[in-house]
Formats: sequence, C-alpha cells, structure tokens
Amino acid sequence: MKPPRLGHANLGLGVGLRSVHFDHILKTQPAVDWFEVISENFVDSQGRPRYVLQQIAERYPVVMHGVSLSIGASDPLDFEYLGKLKRLAREVNARWISDHLCWTGVLGRNTHDLLPVPFTEQTLKHVVDRVRAVQDFLERPFVLENPSSYVTFQDSTMDEWEFITRMAEEADCGLLLDVNNVYVSSFNHDLDPDEFIRSLPHERIVQFHLAGHSNYERYIIDTHDNHVIDPVWELYRTAHQLTGGVSTLLEWDANIPPFPVVHAEVLKAKQFMDEHLAVPAATPAEPAAEAALVGAGETVFHPLHTIVPEVE
Amino acid sequence: MSAPRSLDVVQRWFQAVVTHPEGIDGGAASEEAQRLIRLKRGELEAVIRRSRNLTAAERLSIYANAYYARLLECLASYYPVLQRAVGEEVFASFAFEYLQHYPSRSYTLDRLGESFARFLAETRPEEPAELGWPDFLVDLAVLEWNVTRVFDGPGVEHQPLLTPEALQAVPPERFGEARLAPVPCLRLLEFRHPVNAYFTAVRQAPEGEEVPIPEPALERVALSRRDFVVRRFALTAPQHALLAKVLAGGTVGEALVTAAAASDLDDDALAAELRSWFRTWAAEGFFLSVS
Repeated sequence: MKPPRLGHANLGLGVGLRSVHFDHILKTQPAVDWFEVISENFVDSQGRPRYVLQQIAERYPVVMHGVSLSIGASDPLDFEYLGKLKRLAREVNARWISDHLCWTGVLGRNTHDLLPVPFTEQTLKHVVDRVRAVQDFLERPFVLENPSSYVTFQDSTMDEWEFITRMAEEADCGLLLDVNNVYVSSFNHDLDPDEFIRSLPHERIVQFHLAGHSNYERYIIDTHDNHVIDPVWELYRTAHQLTGGVSTLLEWDANIPPFPVVHAEVLKAKQFMDEHLAVPAATPAEPAAEAALVGAGETVFHPLHTIVPEVE
Repeated sequence: MSAPRSLDVVQRWFQAVVTHPEGIDGGAASEEAQRLIRLKRGELEAVIRRSRNLTAAERLSIYANAYYARLLECLASYYPVLQRAVGEEVFASFAFEYLQHYPSRSYTLDRLGESFARFLAETRPEEPAELGWPDFLVDLAVLEWNVTRVFDGPGVEHQPLLTPEALQAVPPERFGEARLAPVPCLRLLEFRHPVNAYFTAVRQAPEGEEVPIPEPALERVALSRRDFVVRRFALTAPQHALLAKVLAGGTVGEALVTAAAASDLDDDALAAELRSWFRTWAAEGFFLSVS
C-alpha cells in the first residue's frame, strides 16, 4: 500500500510562473504557497528568466514542469535535455519534475505540441521502460500528466485511465492529474470524466492542474486562457476527496490577467475542499459555446511558452 | 482484430499528416504518409476514430491547424518589428514557408527562429537585383535575432566591470599594449540598411502607424545588456573597427590602427575622440577588465 501522494508533500495552492508576472512577484512577494515553472523557459537561460527563477526559488517551493520530454515518442530520449533538467532541478531544489504522457515529434523534429499516443500494450511497454530510464537519470521524483487530446486511435486496446494506471504502477512513478484535461478529453472522446478520475490510482497522484479552456460546441480546446469552469471544479472536488488533497496548481497561458486574478482563481480551490460548502457562483457552468469550423481561427492551444526580450 | 500498427509507424504517419502544408487531406495523400499507412481518400477512420461530434478528419485538423498557428505566434514574438514592417499576412506566409524549410529540431522554442534570416536570404526574390527591401528584411531579422540571443545569453549582471576611472588609471605609455576583455554579451553587427534606426522608429510609432522602410545605408551597431535589458548603440565606422579588433583579442594599439584606417579624422582629432569613446563604453559596461 503506497502512502498518499507517494509520500510527497502537499505544497498547497500554487500558480504557474509566467514572465508577465515576474516584476509583480519580485516586488510584492505574494503569499503564494508554491510556483510551478515551465522547464524549457529556464534550462538554457543565462539572462533575466534564470535570475528571476533563482530569486523565486529562494522564497517559494518550486516544481519543474516540462513540455519537451516526449516520453511516448519512438525517437530516443534526449539525454542532453535531461541533463539540463537535472542541473536546473538541483539549482532550484525542484520538489519534483513533471511532463506529459505524450510525444512531441519524431525523426528528430519537434512539433511543440503534446501529441496523443495510442493506448496499446506496445506503447505501454515503451513508455514504462522510458519512465524508468528517466527516473534513474533524474534521481528526483518524476510525475506524468494526462494531456488534453483531440483524437483517439483505432489501435488503442484500453482506456486512457487504464493505460495511466498500469503505466504508473509498472514504472512506479507519480501522476499529475490535470482535472481540466480530464474534462476536455472526456468531452472530445465521449467519455465520462467522473469515471476517468475514479479509475485512477489515487495514492499515486502527486499534483493537480487546473485551467480554463475554450468550448467550440462540438469540441473543446485546452487554451488555458480563462477561469476554471464549475464542472471542472466539481471534478476537482471529487479528485480532492479521492486523494485526500494534493498540491494544486493553476495554469493560465493566454490572455493572462494580472497576478492577483490568477492567484485568486487557484484560491477558489479551498471552497471545494470541504464538501459541505456551497459552490461559488462566480463562474458560469460553461462559457457560451463558440460555434465554429473545426480548428479555424481559434486560440492557439497550450503549450506555447516564449519569453519576450526586454530591449531599449 | 488485426495487430496494432507499430508505434513508430503511427507517429511518423501522424506527424506527416498534421504538419503537411496542404492540411490533413494533403498530408494523408502525401508520399511519406502513404508509404507508412496506405489509405484511400476518406479512409482516415481506419487510423483515427471518429467521435460523436467530429469525423476523424475534423479531429486531426485540430492538430494540423494548431501546428502552424502556434509556431507562427512564436516566431512573431521573436520578430515583432519585422512582422510590423511587412504586415501580419506577409509575415505569416514567410513563417509558413520557413517552418517547412526549417522545422524545429530542438527541445526549446528558443531556437525556432535561428535560421529565419538565412531563410529570408535564401528565398530572396530576384527582383530587385540591387539592394532593396528583401535585403532590408534580412538585416532586420539578423538584428532581432541577436536581440533575443543577447537577452537570454551570458551576461555580467552582479559582476564587477571595468570602470572609466580604472581605464583612465592605465598609464598612457602602457595603453597601446593593453588588452580589454569585452563582456560576453557584447555583439557587433553591420547592416546594409539602417535597421537599428528603423527598430527604434517602429517602437516609438503608435500602433498601426506605418513607418517607411529606409533606403540602403551602412549601419553599424553594438548590442549589449545591462540589468537584464538589451541595449543598442549606433557606432561609426572607426568605432566599429576599433571594437571589432578589441573583440578579436587585439591590443588597444592594434585597435587604434584599425580605427584610424577607418576614420577621416586626423590623428589628434581621432585621439581626442578615442578618449571619449572609451570613457563612454566603459561607463556602458562594455569591458570586464584591462590587462
């Protein structure tokens, strides 16, 4: 029997660090429990981003979240990249390192997207072997997140939650449960999000993600550009009950509002940690759907992470 | 049920389909995709399941549309002035072509734009044959790329630098043999068009106001970084020649000879100017030390 969160700390309610908030955070030192940083924004930085992160890591617990590991790809693992992750994790005392159950490209290319894998026995063995290799190399807790996805494969022989469960148990790794991604993928794939969450190995969930999305009526895109909707908060309530509570992190990646708004959004989570409290009425159940041609003119979806240079 | 296709085949097929410039249909019909998974038109559901609301093609299109849109947005963040110079539509068409010639092969988006200037030079139209706007765009791309590299490259924040006073304390008789160690963020650039001046003009112009593309004229620029902000310095020909020699590891005396060769001033006038230049550059933090 594994301890809750695989024994890792519950860091509380955190916020994804974004460069538009650097100045505010350094100046005001807001009472945030912890920060998650996008690893790729910092591993090579020798300028302000790295300096800001060093200062933040002195004051707050930090977790590193990556988008380029490509754990599900048939290409070899990139150990140069992993070496950089390991060095940065040591520098900022990252509590754990996370990435996504996905692939980002093959034949040496990177689409910079979180592409879905077919849920087959072959993929499972491949991913499990690679997770073990990554854990051995990083020598730091490693957790994988369920991504939002927009297709499923005819070749898949199991549900996503079965794949995730077997992967986590066979590779002995932690999970980052993105509650919004469960909602998005379940809508897109005609699944029951509640069943998804109830079917996971809850003691292996080390962290939650929350975010907003864009509803295009016939499908949903994971845009991270809005408030968390109430159905996602309800899933969060369920996940909180099933896990006993784990580190919770809000991501906001487009149309990013001022820091206090982002921080206030994650603090709403407190209202869902006690089932006897009423649901806040601040957020609509689901924003009005934007009927559109598929994929035409919509907000670019996560991940897109660049830091704009400061120049005089 | 037949055995699942190998992961490698599925991923190479998926990538070929969603990154194809002609979209999903073109991608699935492409030689590469057909070699991996042979499908007739309308057979995408042999690989991708449909959902209650969307066909397999519609679902794949979400990835295909996002691929170019995402990377275009990223490129635009590296080349905002160039984007403003040509307009969003033309910039998007450049980016679309560029991403086909130079797809990302790195874990980081930071390198996505590193070949953009080269791409613009390689695909330069034959007309105008003489220096013209296509070359202006290449120069501008070089400037903007260097700005991004200086911003996040090595710097000297929180390190002691050579002060004007310390430089002045070098005995005159030893100055010619002295070598100045430049800061690692100092970069010298030479352009065929005044793109640095254009960069400034665009940043100062209100949103939507057109800034005319300048006529060709040699322009020399130093980029450096202080307090994590990139700074741009217009240089004269002798200043550029002098700093280039210093960056190449030459002595101050050798640098002065190079500067004199690039200058119209007589020796006395140049000597007076040099003192002022070195003072200014030391004050701007161009040098780590003198030896």
